[in-house]
Order: sequence, then structure tokens, then C-alpha cells
Amino acid sequence: MERTIVLPGEKIADGRVNAPNTFSNESGTYAAVVGMKDEEGRYIPLENRYRPTVGDVVVGMVTDVRHAGYEVDLNLPQGGFIPTRDVRLTLQLGDFVICRVKMVNEVGDVDLGEVRRLPKGKIIEFPSAKVPRLIGRKSSMISLLKDYTGGDIMVGNNGYVWISENSDMPLLLKTIKLIERKAHKSGLTDEVANMLAAAKGGPVRTREQIEGAPAEADEQRFEQR
Amino acid sequence: MGGKSDIQLIVNGKRTDGRGMEDLRDLRIEVGVLPEADGSSYVQWGGNKIVCGVYGPRECIPRHDASPYHALVKCRYMMSPFSSLEEHSRSGPSRRSNELSKVIREAFENLVIAEKFPNTQIDIYIDVLQADGGTRTASITAAAVALANAGIPMKDMVAAVAVGKAGETLALDLNKLEDNFGQSDMPIAISHRDRKILLVQMDGLLTKDQVIEALDMAERGCDKVHEVQADALKRFYEKGEKEKMQW
Repeated sequence: MERTIVLPGEKIADGRVNAPNTFSNESGTYAAVVGMKDEEGRYIPLENRYRPTVGDVVVGMVTDVRHAGYEVDLNLPQGGFIPTRDVRLTLQLGDFVICRVKMVNEVGDVDLGEVRRLPKGKIIEFPSAKVPRLIGRKSSMISLLKDYTGGDIMVGNNGYVWISENSDMPLLLKTIKLIERKAHKSGLTDEVANMLAAAKGGPVRTREQIEGAPAEADEQRFEQR
Repeated sequence: MGGKSDIQLIVNGKRTDGRGMEDLRDLRIEVGVLPEADGSSYVQWGGNKIVCGVYGPRECIPRHDASPYHALVKCRYMMSPFSSLEEHSRSGPSRRSNELSKVIREAFENLVIAEKFPNTQIDIYIDVLQADGGTRTASITAAAVALANAGIPMKDMVAAVAVGKAGETLALDLNKLEDNFGQSDMPIAISHRDRKILLVQMDGLLTKDQVIEALDMAERGCDKVHEVQADALKRFYEKGEKEKMQW
């Protein structure tokens, strides 16, 4: 089956299927946002608004320091909150943090935990629907970007991407833009590898090599620090 | 509107711009024209030129308007001072633009799945750069595409078209001349999947049979408009990069 674009309101399954970015009634399940049907007929959203769920890893910036805790900008209508009693480190206004969503209440207030401060760097926005492509299978895309640009990258589910100061920023930003534009195409890792190799003049690595390399999953990387 | 006029709107079965009774004007839609907006579209429909930008869901302002049950849909329709020759020479809200903002907002309140975003608002900004009759239908057409581009969950897509009576016969997609000198004008918005009528207004007079006939015509017209909307979105998302605008 060929890849096709699905518009809001288009039927994607006959029965009721509980999946994000869809809605269902007696007659079937429908797409709620623009998406894509892949070769196996699965529905993949191409454009969405991030909705926090417990367990998500998010990247943010401290926007307010209060007695009870820290307010964090998470690219959401409401900011996230880090209660002081849960963290030992002291944060300052403008600090970048990576944390995990501990709790989300009915009106969308987010409580964060497992906080880690990120070193100097930059936060850029990336569409949250396309975050899985930026991470890649077994973090292949991230390790590729890190190898060629020399810095560190942290991707949050909320669509904020932190990149460290010492990386090759122009090349990295250009590559991330390319991933954003072509997130729905297949063979993206190879294309990015080719592009980075051409820019850096190194040998081209194939996808098998990248995925075969001992790159820890993003989840493990998070636990380690 | 309503009365007899000297202007011949139908000559030899053709309309003033050479169209048949059920032909749409040339319609082109472009997606993602405003990089700063969450979603955007540009619609050129006959002489109408409309830009639409969508923002949100974002923090609701004023805060006391916010609902803990759903996001508010807000819409601002505006005609630019240079959009048409006569009465819109001063920008800012007017009786007419307030009405249009309201009817467009109400059409989208039925479509947007707002319960997922409590305490927020979704803003739809519609700017008419050039007007040539049927701006409210063109605005709804543009806003539906911009909302899809913004990734705001919707139950359905919507397309809109006007049906009216020009020169004593029903005609689809009235232009400015037919709007001003015809006998009746009925803008209609129909959702694509479940065929719900999300907007119907009428100016002038139509008989019951004519209204039934007009609704059928509008349904066929909306299908054609939906095709153009779907094509624009598919072009944007399949290509993965913006095409150069060509006009």
C-alpha cells in the first residue's frame, strides 16, 4: 500500500480504536488531524498539538522561581511546575531542564519530577508530531547528529530540543530543519547521513551501521544521568 | 438585492463572467504561508484574496473568559481598507465584520474538538485583502485549511459556497455583481463527512422549492471546494517543502 495523506474527519478504522489524534463513534474511528497512512495502513499524525501525558520526557526553560517551586515553559498553554520538595538542585531563571511528567490534572496543569539541569546551550522548537523521527529507531538519528556535529542533543516529547553550545550549530540547525521537512519520507536516516557526511567530509555510514552501533535507547540515556 | 434591476446578469445562458449557472470561480489555496503562525492558508477565489492565520491552543486572555471544560474558539474577520472600493475604507471592527466573525466562529465551534484543551483559546484571524463577493464562504474555506495546518483536532473538514438568484435563476458562487444586483444570496457551509450544515444565511427572497434546489447545488459546490482544499493540503504535506507561490 502506498503512503497517502489523511485529512481530519477521514475514516481510518471500522471499529472503535483508542488512539491519540483520533476520535471514534459507533460507525468507526476517524482522523482528527492531518496525518498519513503508511504502507501497512497505520495512521501516523503529521501535525498535532502536544498534550502532556504522565511519563513523557520534556525539555523546558525555568520562567519563574517561587517559594514552592519552579515554573517551567514547556511549549504549552500552561507552564509546568517543579515542586521544591521534590528536587535537591537549585535552579535559576533561564536554566534549561530536562524532566519527566509526574502528573497532569484535568485542566492541564503539569507537575514535573526527575529534574536535571542542562548545561549552556540553546532550545529550539520542533513539531511534537515529528519527534519520533528526530530520535530515530534506537536513537539512530540522535547518535548520527551527535557524531557529526560534536555536541549533545536532548529531545523532549513536548517539541523542545536542547542543543549544547559546543556543537556545530549551523549544520545542526540545517539538519534538524531537513528532518522536520521530510519527516514523512522513508529512508530519512540515510539521507541525513549522506548530507552530514557531505558537509563534514567523513565516510558515509549506512543505517545498518548506525543502528548496529551500541547506541543506548533514549530512555536509558535519561536514566543514567 | 431583492428588487428588479436594469443590469443583465444572464446573457445567452452565461453569467457576467462567462460562467455557467453551476460553475465555481477559479479557486486556488496555498497552505503554510505564514511561518510565524501555528497554521495558515491563503485563498484566492475569483477576485477574493484572503489570508488566514491560526494560533493556539494558548493561554486564554482575559483569564476570566476561560472555561475549565473546553478551549474557546475565537475568530476575528477583518476587511483591509483597500479590499474593496466603497465602504470599507476605515479599518477596525464594524457591524458587518462582527457578524461575520460570529458566524464563522460558530461554524468552527461545531468542528474543533475543544474538550482536549481546557482553559485555553484558539484564535482564528482572517484578513480579507481583496473582496469580490462571497468573502464569508471563502473565509470559512480558508480557516478550515489553516486549522488543519495548525494540527488542531477537528471532527471534520468544512467547505462553504454561496448560492443565489441572479437574473431569476439559481446560480452557484455569486460574484460581486450578482451579489449586489441579484435577487437573493444564500451562503452555505457544509461539513464534508457528515454533511452537516454549519452556516446558512439568506439575503433576499427564495421560494421553498428554490431553497431545496439551492441546498442541493451548494452541496455539489462544497464538494468541489473540498477537493481543492484536500489537494492543497496533500500538496503541502506530500512535498514536505513549500512550493514557490506562482501568482
